[in-house]
Amino acid sequence: MGRYAIRRLLQLIPVLLGTTFLINYMVWQLPGDPFAARCGQRACPDSYISAMRAQFGLDQPMLVQYWHFLKNLLSGDLGVNFNQVSVASQLADAWPITIRLGLMAVAIEAIIGIAAGVLSGLKRGGFIDNVITISTLFMLSLPIFVTGFILQWLLGVQLQWINPTVSDAATVGELLIPAFVLASLNLAFTARLTRTSIVENRRSDYVRTAISKGMTNRRVVGVHLLRNSLIPALTFLGTEIGSLMSGAIVTEGIFNIHGIGGLLFTAINNHDFTIVVPVASLLVLVYLLANLLVDLLYGVLDPRIRYE
Amino acid sequence: MIEVLPESAGSGTHGGALLEVDDLHVEFRTRAGVAKAVNGVTYSVSAGETLAVLGESGSGKSVTAQTIMGILDMPPGKITGGEIRFRGTDLLKLPEDERRKVRGEGISMIFQDALSALNPVFPVGWQIAEMFRIHRGASRADAKKKAIELMDRVRIPAAKERVSDYPHQFSGGMRQRIMIAMAIALDPEVLIADEPTTALDVTVQAQIMELLAELQRDSNMGLILITHDLGVVADVADKIAVMYGGRIVENAPVHDLYRNPAHPYTKGLLESIPRVDLKGQELYAIKGMPPNLLDMPSGCAFHPRCPYRQETCTTDVPPLHTISGTRGSACHFWREVLDGDAQ
Ligand SMILES: Nc1ncnc2c1ncn2[C@@H]1O[C@H](COP(=O)(O)OP(=O)(O)OP(=O)(O)O)[C@@H](O)[C@H]1O
Ligand code: SF4
Ligand SMILES: [Mg+2]
Repeated sequence: MGRYAIRRLLQLIPVLLGTTFLINYMVWQLPGDPFAARCGQRACPDSYISAMRAQFGLDQPMLVQYWHFLKNLLSGDLGVNFNQVSVASQLADAWPITIRLGLMAVAIEAIIGIAAGVLSGLKRGGFIDNVITISTLFMLSLPIFVTGFILQWLLGVQLQWINPTVSDAATVGELLIPAFVLASLNLAFTARLTRTSIVENRRSDYVRTAISKGMTNRRVVGVHLLRNSLIPALTFLGTEIGSLMSGAIVTEGIFNIHGIGGLLFTAINNHDFTIVVPVASLLVLVYLLANLLVDLLYGVLDPRIRYE
Repeated sequence: MIEVLPESAGSGTHGGALLEVDDLHVEFRTRAGVAKAVNGVTYSVSAGETLAVLGESGSGKSVTAQTIMGILDMPPGKITGGEIRFRGTDLLKLPEDERRKVRGEGISMIFQDALSALNPVFPVGWQIAEMFRIHRGASRADAKKKAIELMDRVRIPAAKERVSDYPHQFSGGMRQRIMIAMAIALDPEVLIADEPTTALDVTVQAQIMELLAELQRDSNMGLILITHDLGVVADVADKIAVMYGGRIVENAPVHDLYRNPAHPYTKGLLESIPRVDLKGQELYAIKGMPPNLLDMPSGCAFHPRCPYRQETCTTDVPPLHTISGTRGSACHFWREVLDGDAQ
């Protein structure tokens, strides 16, 4: 497995090069001059525009620009943005918040999703199963921004149980509802996946064997059945870490959380590509690493998987 | 020829029988209707005795065994009558917690397909050791040591090195040995083997049967061997129960049954065993289809396929006639069937 992991890590290099090049290329090719609209009502003077273009290397060929990007990235120097503020310091402020939000969402997906799935799978056709099936259907049919606005309005404005927006500190308590919103889709999906695999595995031969070995019902369900039924749900959760990131951008927008999403959102509006490019590249990296982690996790969960 | 004595003189407390299935009825309630899978099965096994249960596919052999173990799918399955007595106690009336303690300790079971019967995500040694940990409260280390001993006992080569391997890393025969090791871990008094060799190569089949016979001799277990292969049982079984349409149609000590069957269905089965001396000749196979459990034939369930059929067979259900102390046949005309063979 060690060799496999190393090989996979090496494979990341060309993929990262390719994707970051594409991000650079796309972003700088977008229509509209990023500097022309930076001077309020008036058009910017040509001297300003050409000075900025020179500072950010826009006057050079694409490949040279990309080379500079790589060099700076590897030396950890992300430069300044169009407002001459350090990009690295902005990222350093924003990342921890987004990571906290993301981890909380994954935990909510895993704990609530799996628990709900196991319950409804074991009590198939019963009252609890129906309640869970209907609520997951609800979550699945509502886009994240709708769920977000509804909960913000209901809990924040009407009932006033929470602050409608999150403070700069972004504490765990404040992030609870946003994390739930972010988790909602995957949570519902996890519950359904778990339910299906519980129902399928419940009648399997090895569960029958465990019963005929005289194991307690708790052990049959909690060890033999659960361990097998978790495989699809955990794999799903891992592969969805990537989509969680794009969900985080929406969620941060709704609750005014100053994470990566917020940063990216303003940067796109301002055409500030000095922020967009590193953030997008980091998101790609997170996505790739999460996928690798899932593949390795899959092998730990299911010994039948071979790494070759 | 060696005379086989019924080995009922044993250690059992209830007329010798350790496990008695008495007039068991099981049905499956499905959308298509009520399938009567088991219709009054009665059989028993004593310590040290091997009972072979024979019958074609769908005759209710496995369902009966699952009911004994308490692993019947309920629903759709439903036990509609009868008793299953283990050491005189009706298991069907036992509370679940006490019933559970009988499994593994008193009665164990091995299945046809060891690959699916073993849990794919746990090492085989762990699965054997679990018996000692849960039933006996053994420590992990002790239980693992015992698991290795058991793997040795069922002759898995390099047991010590392989104890942490997973089921898919073993061959079919080795997997079945692991199943057997798990089933005999706690020295059960009765072992039920449901077609333990059907999924295996012929040479491996013989090895597994030998192993089972040897283990049984050593520990004096009662063995219920379910199969639809008459050839397999001749060497190992003491007595045979033949099932058809969820009923026992004939039971007899093994050599009596081979020499002189008392039911037309048994006769058909015997004549369909491939024999070396008849090589090249066409086999006699029982004509017709197994009965439809949703709509059983009236009278004797075998009548649509029976060469001995008379008028009464289509209307009257034949009871299990006693032929002698150890033999029975559920055929109105068992005398003719016996005679016809004895000429
Ligand atoms: N879970 C179930 N649901 C519905 N019907 C079932 C179920 N299990 C068994 N049956 C039915 O009960 C009947 C008897 O099945 P059983 O498995 O006992 O046959 P068998 O004698 O063991 O046959 P085989 O030699 O093929 O194993 C079959 O007709 C089968 O369709
Ligand atoms: S009762 Fe009649 S139909 Fe049934 S086996 Fe005997 S002879 Fe055949
Ligand atoms: Mg069967």
